Amino acid sequence: MSDAKNPYISQASRSAQAGDGITRRDFLNEITLGALGIAGLGSVAVTYQYFSPNVLFEPSTTFRAGNPDLYPVHSVTFLQDQLVYIVRMPEGFYAVSAVCTHLGCVTQWKPDADMIACPCHGSKFKGDGTKIEGPAPRPLPHFSISLTADGELLVDKLQNIKPAQVLKV
Amino acid sequence: MATSFQSVLQNLRETKVWKSIFRRGPANTNRTRSLAVFGNLFLHWLPVKVREKSLRVRASYYLGSISFLLFIVLFVTGILLMFYYHPATPHAYRDMKDLRFVVSNGVFLRNLHRLAAHLMVFAVFWHMFHVFYRGGYKPPHEFNWVIGVVLLLITLFLSYTGYLLPWDQLAFWAVTVGTNIISAMPFVGDKIRFLLLGGNIVGENALLRFYVLHVVILPLVAFLLIGIHFWRVQKDGGLTVKPKDDDGKE
Amino acid sequence: MEKNKIETGLSSDAKKEPRRVVFVTKKASAKVVGEPGPQLMTYPHLLIREAIAFQVLVIAMVLVALLWDAPLEQLANPLLTPNPAKAPWYFLGLQELLHFFPPFVAGILIPTLVVIALVVIPYFNVNVEGEAIWSRPAQNLRIVLVTVFLLLAFLAVFHAWTIFLPTALVAALLLFSYTARAGENGLLQALARKPVSWWVMTWFIAVALCLTVVGTFFRGPGWSWVWPWRTHVG
Repeated sequence: MSDAKNPYISQASRSAQAGDGITRRDFLNEITLGALGIAGLGSVAVTYQYFSPNVLFEPSTTFRAGNPDLYPVHSVTFLQDQLVYIVRMPEGFYAVSAVCTHLGCVTQWKPDADMIACPCHGSKFKGDGTKIEGPAPRPLPHFSISLTADGELLVDKLQNIKPAQVLKV
Repeated sequence: MATSFQSVLQNLRETKVWKSIFRRGPANTNRTRSLAVFGNLFLHWLPVKVREKSLRVRASYYLGSISFLLFIVLFVTGILLMFYYHPATPHAYRDMKDLRFVVSNGVFLRNLHRLAAHLMVFAVFWHMFHVFYRGGYKPPHEFNWVIGVVLLLITLFLSYTGYLLPWDQLAFWAVTVGTNIISAMPFVGDKIRFLLLGGNIVGENALLRFYVLHVVILPLVAFLLIGIHFWRVQKDGGLTVKPKDDDGKE
Repeated sequence: MEKNKIETGLSSDAKKEPRRVVFVTKKASAKVVGEPGPQLMTYPHLLIREAIAFQVLVIAMVLVALLWDAPLEQLANPLLTPNPAKAPWYFLGLQELLHFFPPFVAGILIPTLVVIALVVIPYFNVNVEGEAIWSRPAQNLRIVLVTVFLLLAFLAVFHAWTIFLPTALVAALLLFSYTARAGENGLLQALARKPVSWWVMTWFIAVALCLTVVGTFFRGPGWSWVWPWRTHVG
């Protein structure tokens, strides 16, 4: 039945609804919904945390690449285990990522054509990572490369550096 | 011999046990035929009566039914395959080889599963296009169409998660490229990729997550939505046929 | 404490307390469109046809499954990408699209727009009567020509020939149906009577088909163009 005829709505309720007060019923409803909403949001947050792993068993992203003398000048060496090209030019060393910047396929060094090619969608790069052609949006990134205390090359794949930076040995 | 078999069956039907299970009686009157559908948990999703024209092949090409039947085939073959599959990184590939060379009828089951999967993607696409051209999305069927689109996406996602499970080169690189596309989404792309893979690389966590999605979560959601999809057809009056569709022509 | 004015208790008078079995509201009842026509019992008529469909399907699949094996390549090697690395056939259209547009556009934007477009179809009740595309020839022809021209120009700029071709073909069919709209009844006349939504969906299917076919048969290592008959020689 309509609110006007409902004998269970008190005079106080009616005046509250008519003015800018709020009835006890509506107030409690709102409080309950609010509490459920907070509980719901909290559940979502906690579930997201649950699904997001805290410990990952993935291979280390820092590795040693051996003595610099292993690499002749003007060479591009593909380290397959690390998916990195160690490039040695007269000016110094670069560590270029072998993962295509388009969609993550592993590129290949083609010495006869003096370029790096991606098999998935045909992107081509020069030895220093600059793009020649193809759908890749960016050149191949350079990783931080340095010398350890005992004279070995150290590459950190989590640190990207500018292509102009070179390791002089 | 035939008649004695018939009489055995008849006697069986008269027993208390039989009557306690199949309570409607033999389906030889329209009333018992109605009860066979209306009173059955699995069949009450269907209407009790159907329009004669909707039974013709050309009305629907039975595409909706075929999609569902393929899903049942996938469900059964999938469960059977689960008995010999470990969702862990070196094992998964070995299990695929096992299924092919060692397990009795393993190669057949896997072939059937993969074939049904490809056919189901094809069937649901065709079903969608056919419903569109028939106008089956018009009011009051709008929301059922939307449920259908969601089911299409679930089918594609089921197929995609299943694709990784053999853990061969084809699977690995298809998933690598696919998850890299997801990270192209602005703001949330990388986070979604991280959650989907359970890490930064396509590795053992990814395989396990895709397995759970493929075997539990997506089939459950699919079953629920299929249920709603069928229920809506029934509640909206069953498969309708276009008024002009007298001889199957427009 | 006030005495409770509501009487409770069991009543055996069925007439006084009728049980409601079905409550039909206006919006919840089925709206039947068109003539219902003769009807048949689901059991047995529909169920037997479903059973037959199932059996035909299963027999066909069992035969194919017995004769042709599902592929299995080498063990997954994160360090070596095979060449070419192709997705399953239903995603090859997408992969072909990726060749022309950046990953965000081809992989996220276009699929999202397609899904939104699909979902919105029943709510876009612009043309409920199914008015033919050439019902107002002069205005519609201009709009169609401008749209087609802009679309083809856009595709040509991006060198997206795989989409250009089916678009051009569907547009040609559409324009032929325009020229033939007043002729005697045949295929072109039937096409001229189709509404815009029909043409848009047909265009979409044509493009999707073309992308998928090209991605499946005409792309080889490095996603370069190959002629399918040449790849199977030798």
